[in-house]
Formats: sequence, structure tokens, C-alpha cells
Amino acid sequence: MTIDDLRSDMDAASLGACHDLGAATEPQGFAAAVGPLRQIPPTQANQPLSPERLRQIDRVFFGPFFRDKYGSGGDRALKNHRIRYYGPVQPASDAGELIGRRYVHEFDTVTGLTRGWHETLDWMGNVRQIRPERHDGIKRYYQFDGDGRYKGSW
Amino acid sequence: MEVGLQAVLRVFEDVLNGRMLREQADRWAHAVVQEEETGVVTYSPPRERARIWAGVMYLYGIDMMTAPNAYLHSDDDIRRGMIASIGMVGVAVPKDASTGT
Repeated sequence: MTIDDLRSDMDAASLGACHDLGAATEPQGFAAAVGPLRQIPPTQANQPLSPERLRQIDRVFFGPFFRDKYGSGGDRALKNHRIRYYGPVQPASDAGELIGRRYVHEFDTVTGLTRGWHETLDWMGNVRQIRPERHDGIKRYYQFDGDGRYKGSW
Repeated sequence: MEVGLQAVLRVFEDVLNGRMLREQADRWAHAVVQEEETGVVTYSPPRERARIWAGVMYLYGIDMMTAPNAYLHSDDDIRRGMIASIGMVGVAVPKDASTGT
């Protein structure tokens, strides 16, 4: 079992912030010259999205919503249409091989669902522990060794 | 929901003074984050939104542990985290030698 296997099993939380930006039924009072904020090349039908393409779309459409709030430590587009936003590492000064913790927010660009978890990192930058949270508020820790192998949970 | 800079500071101070458990501070921050997802959080004062949010995100997960009954952060970590996230806002938190466990 790997860290990503565990993350796949975690419950997804609903986004809860999806707004209908189309307003297609509203009458148009006047015709204004509206240009796109940024040009991105069109996507072909049934074309799988590469991480780079996903990142490109994220930069234009989703970035302002998630990067500002959750991605000050960086972001990463995954192959499964998801984008992870990393918060800053909050340092721990007296935790042995652990350097600190950060919050990770993951956005599924296909379903619109988000989920998040806390994780602790070692000095090498390896994720050594993740703490997802169930809907009932129960917190559980999953631990990994320095090579990413699952060690156990508590 | 309205979240003010002073309210965030108070949570930090309460944790450091032992008046609030870290778990309670985490739940308080979690509630703010959940509200933020629905877009109904207002920040007071609005110009301090970035600092308030940084403080909330520090408090969210402040109860992380390395093992059962062993917190990841020391009180000094939290004190530094408070200053790094929300700055010096009339901070009156006594410095002590507790380990936070």
C-alpha cells in the first residue's frame, strides 16, 4: 500500500461552492465587447488531459479559487484529473526527523469534488504521516517510512 | 460567519495559555474552512483577510501528533507560527517552558 492508495480511499467531500456562472437565462441588456482573460488552445473531444494541460486549465479557471487559499506552498497536477494544492510547511522544532506539517487540498476537475488532509514531512521532504478526516470528524493517522512504505495507522 | 483578526489571536492565546485544547482550536479552524468553502465568511477587518486566513490555516491541524499523546508542535513552535501568520497583534502570551504534550 502506498500513500496514493490511501488517498484514493479517502472519502471525498463535496465542493459546496459550485456556482452557476453561466446565467444563460438572463436577458442580455446590452452587447459588450468581452474578451477572454487568457487564451488557451481548445481541447479535442475524448482527448485525455495531460498533467501539463490540466495545469494550464487550472491556471486560467481554478487557480484564483484554490491557489490563493490553499496553494501558497505550490501545486501539482496529477494524471487523474486532480490538482493538489500545498499549504506552507509549518515547522516543528523538536520532532526528531520530522520537519513539520502542511495541509493539502485536492481538487478533482472532473467531478468538482474536493478533499483535504494534513501530512507531516521529514527533513528529506518525504511524507511520513497523513491524517485525513472522516465526515464524522474522526481523525486517523497513517504512517510511512522514509521510502514511502506503509507502516501502520493509529 | 464573521472571523476577525482578534478572534484568531484569541484562539492562539487560549491555546498557549492552556485555556483551550489544541483539538478545540483545530475544530474552530475547521469550521471556518468549511464555511469558507461555501463562500459566506467575512473577514474583519477585510483588509486583513490574508493574515486572518493564514492564522486559521495554522490553527487547522495544530493538534497534529507524531504518536499517541505526543503533539508535533511545541508551544514555542505555535508562538512562532502565530507571529509568522498573523504578526504581532498586541500579543500578551507568556513564554513558558511547556512542551505542549
